[in-house]
Amino acid sequence: MLQVMKRDGSLTEFDMSRIVRAVNKAFRAVKGSAEDDVSVRIGQQVTDRVAEAESLTVEYIQDCVIQALRESQYGEVADAYSQYRDARDLERIRRGELYKISSDVIGAANPDLLRENANLNGESFSGKMSRIGSEYAKWIANRFVLPSELYKAVKDGYVYVHDLDQYALGTTNCIFIPFDRLLAKGFNTGNGSVRPPQSIMTAMALVAIIFQSQQNSQFGGVSANKIDWDLAPYVGKSFRRHFRKGLLYLGETSGKAHEGSADGSLAHLLEDGELYIDNMSLKAAYPRTYAYAYEETVHETKQAAESLIHNLNTMSSRAGGQIPFTSLNYGMCTSTEGRLVTRALLDATIDGLGRGETPIFPQHIFQCKQGVNQAEGEPNYDLFLKAVECSSRRLYPNFVNVDASFNLPYYQPDDPDTIIATMGCRTRTISDRFGRNRLSGKGNLSFNTINLVRLGMESGIVFGKRTEPDLEGFFRQLDRYMNIAVEGLVHRFEIQAKQPAKASDFMMREGVWEGGDSLGPDDQVRELIKHGTLALGFIGLAECLKALTGKHHGEDEGSHRLGLEMISRMRRFCDEMSDKYNLNISLFATPAEGLSGKFTAVDQAEYGSIPGVTDKEYYTNSFHVPVYYKLSAFEKIKLEAPFHKLCNAGAISYVELDGNARMNTAAFKRIVQFALEEDIGYFSVNHPLDRCPSCHYEGIIGSACPGCGAGEQEVHFQRLRRVTGYLTGNYTERFNSAKQAEVRDRVKHL
Amino acid sequence: MNICGYIPESINEGAGLRAVLFISGCKHACPGCFNPASWDFQAGERFTEEMAGRIIGDVKTNSLLDGITLCGGDPFFSAEECAEFLIKFKARCPDKNVWAYTGFTFEALVKRPELKQLALLCDVIVDGKFIAAEKDVSLPFRGSRNQRLVDVRESVRQGRVVEIEL
Repeated sequence: MLQVMKRDGSLTEFDMSRIVRAVNKAFRAVKGSAEDDVSVRIGQQVTDRVAEAESLTVEYIQDCVIQALRESQYGEVADAYSQYRDARDLERIRRGELYKISSDVIGAANPDLLRENANLNGESFSGKMSRIGSEYAKWIANRFVLPSELYKAVKDGYVYVHDLDQYALGTTNCIFIPFDRLLAKGFNTGNGSVRPPQSIMTAMALVAIIFQSQQNSQFGGVSANKIDWDLAPYVGKSFRRHFRKGLLYLGETSGKAHEGSADGSLAHLLEDGELYIDNMSLKAAYPRTYAYAYEETVHETKQAAESLIHNLNTMSSRAGGQIPFTSLNYGMCTSTEGRLVTRALLDATIDGLGRGETPIFPQHIFQCKQGVNQAEGEPNYDLFLKAVECSSRRLYPNFVNVDASFNLPYYQPDDPDTIIATMGCRTRTISDRFGRNRLSGKGNLSFNTINLVRLGMESGIVFGKRTEPDLEGFFRQLDRYMNIAVEGLVHRFEIQAKQPAKASDFMMREGVWEGGDSLGPDDQVRELIKHGTLALGFIGLAECLKALTGKHHGEDEGSHRLGLEMISRMRRFCDEMSDKYNLNISLFATPAEGLSGKFTAVDQAEYGSIPGVTDKEYYTNSFHVPVYYKLSAFEKIKLEAPFHKLCNAGAISYVELDGNARMNTAAFKRIVQFALEEDIGYFSVNHPLDRCPSCHYEGIIGSACPGCGAGEQEVHFQRLRRVTGYLTGNYTERFNSAKQAEVRDRVKHL
Repeated sequence: MNICGYIPESINEGAGLRAVLFISGCKHACPGCFNPASWDFQAGERFTEEMAGRIIGDVKTNSLLDGITLCGGDPFFSAEECAEFLIKFKARCPDKNVWAYTGFTFEALVKRPELKQLALLCDVIVDGKFIAAEKDVSLPFRGSRNQRLVDVRESVRQGRVVEIEL
């Protein structure tokens, strides 16, 4: 019997009567009545014809019908048949997922779809354009690329594949950029080559250009892991230039320069090597010139920092209106030049943008280390204090802990590339089983997140089915889904590894990813990207514990111990998988922006609203104590600290301040240093940052501005909040609904 | 004595992180007061021995805290009970400091022995009535420009009001 393949791929038996009916319908449309004998004859002809075909599809049969009608001089009927077929095709497309993907975006039917990323204006034309592409790419990945077990685990709400739209393409996530190398040798953007900069102004301009060129090679964050060290040489170059110019115009002479100089131009007599800021004999010999050069250098560095920050907030160049996620780590370079860079970046951030607004980008991270910047008498302590001041006014910088027990072993004082840094959100990528135990030139490749809450509900006491949690069952299921998630990461790695160097363009061509410049355009990137990390993430430890035992880790010591046991087990699993697959697989305290409400929605649909578990619109971030649970900053830090060393792919802890932090930097500093002492790896303080556009008051604004008394109805207060580690402008406009709910529920710890 | 509030950690009532105790009762009746409900001496709940012991214990174990702040109301209308509390507090938390808010001026406090005793148990006193016409939101830890952050020890030593530097 003849088999016909239908549009969905299934097979059905060939049935001539269906053709006869369809042709009759076309006759009725054209002539007003059916013509059975003609229809049967056409059916017969088509049957004869298709009998010879090797494989049979609906489309082919329809083509045959049209041909047979035309050959029998029923052209009009053929047209009617064809029109009917087109209309049916369109109807089918409308019902299909592909159509829905773009119609939802075009019609702005689903605000959460457009606000998945708080940093992208999804309601703009370009934002929608990229969203359509992204939704289509997800569809392809789900339907044709994901391993079937992973696809099922995702559909059932156990696992989330982040940046699924990039899965099939093999794009990689994020990177620490070796700015020192790129600036020293110059680079090519693809449209032209750029020479090494000769001043700090140019160097900072090129930093923005490098960020911009790099971010299109990847989908995630781009970070400078030691920008003070990277830029210090260019402060030196600026000083030399200003000094020579000063000497020329001021005509200052010294004993040394005077010897053998008759032409009045003395500048050439000084060697480059003598012209540096810390050269005190230079200062003594040319006091006026030195003072001029020094002031000009400080001024230029500050201006350069201001324009860098402006640039990073204005290049909405990625995928339709998204400003790339840029981060700057600094604070450890103690040279005069490096310190000037750090100071300038902080001062420029404190000053704010054009009208004094808080800059959203870049993310700033201050690298804290005892002996360098943590106490009175240490060389960069003044900069740490400035960082605290800046953070109390602008929410940035965050603080990363070089002394943490899990970071310090990597630190080598003679190599700034081993100072721990973060990607901004929290990603940490220092260790490498292939020996590159340093930061720049690599990054994270991808991550998958486990929904701990669902697992907790299945094995917990939450539904009253048992009085004790079934921990054995819980861990069995956890292992099962960790396995699926990690196999998914490895599967994705295989796709990424096969990509030719030319696909990531700037990143490989210019060796931003270390070694990329040694590859030909068509060479596969496997041997280079294996230095990157694959991360297994998790969300909702708090709700998971609540479902399992009735209490989360903020409420009960036993739950806290159980939480630590779970996360330790996940870490062990990652270490074992790293050996098994010979890849860098690490454990990640997932920053959950787009994800924060997705699992919750799936779980609510299945289990309904369970108090303390699924009754919010979001799940609590990673191992955090819930934002709605009232406890002191002291307790929150104590409770969360032990999780940090387990999460080797990165984690962050926050406390929420209630009050105007800028008025009390002593308290701010105390909290930060306490967190560092407690071995927290990455830390930040959230505090309300509202701004009145009419009087420029900044602090907490309720319904009326405390500065000028203007009311919410009269002026539009700017309200900044933090999401997944980055700031975002007016959160009520850009946050998705789950994140808005989370901000609403955040209790202050002070 | 009643208290009408206790905040285990705050950044708003003095330098550093502080526990804040709101003592019920005030007779200054400053127009524009941020908390008129606290004027009533019966507001809130009785400040028991047990409560005092618990709060001192909290502050002692919370290494983030710089000290405690007595707020109100005005603690100087309950000077004797507050002094008693602070003596116990200082015995158990010798490393923590004490701030207090009052509508009296420092000069007025030291003239009256029963108020002076409490004043001398404090490290910093934010003194003076709230004057709405002098209101300034940019001032740290106080509401109006006439109010001062008095460094108690230095003021006593020098025999004149000395303000702390933030």
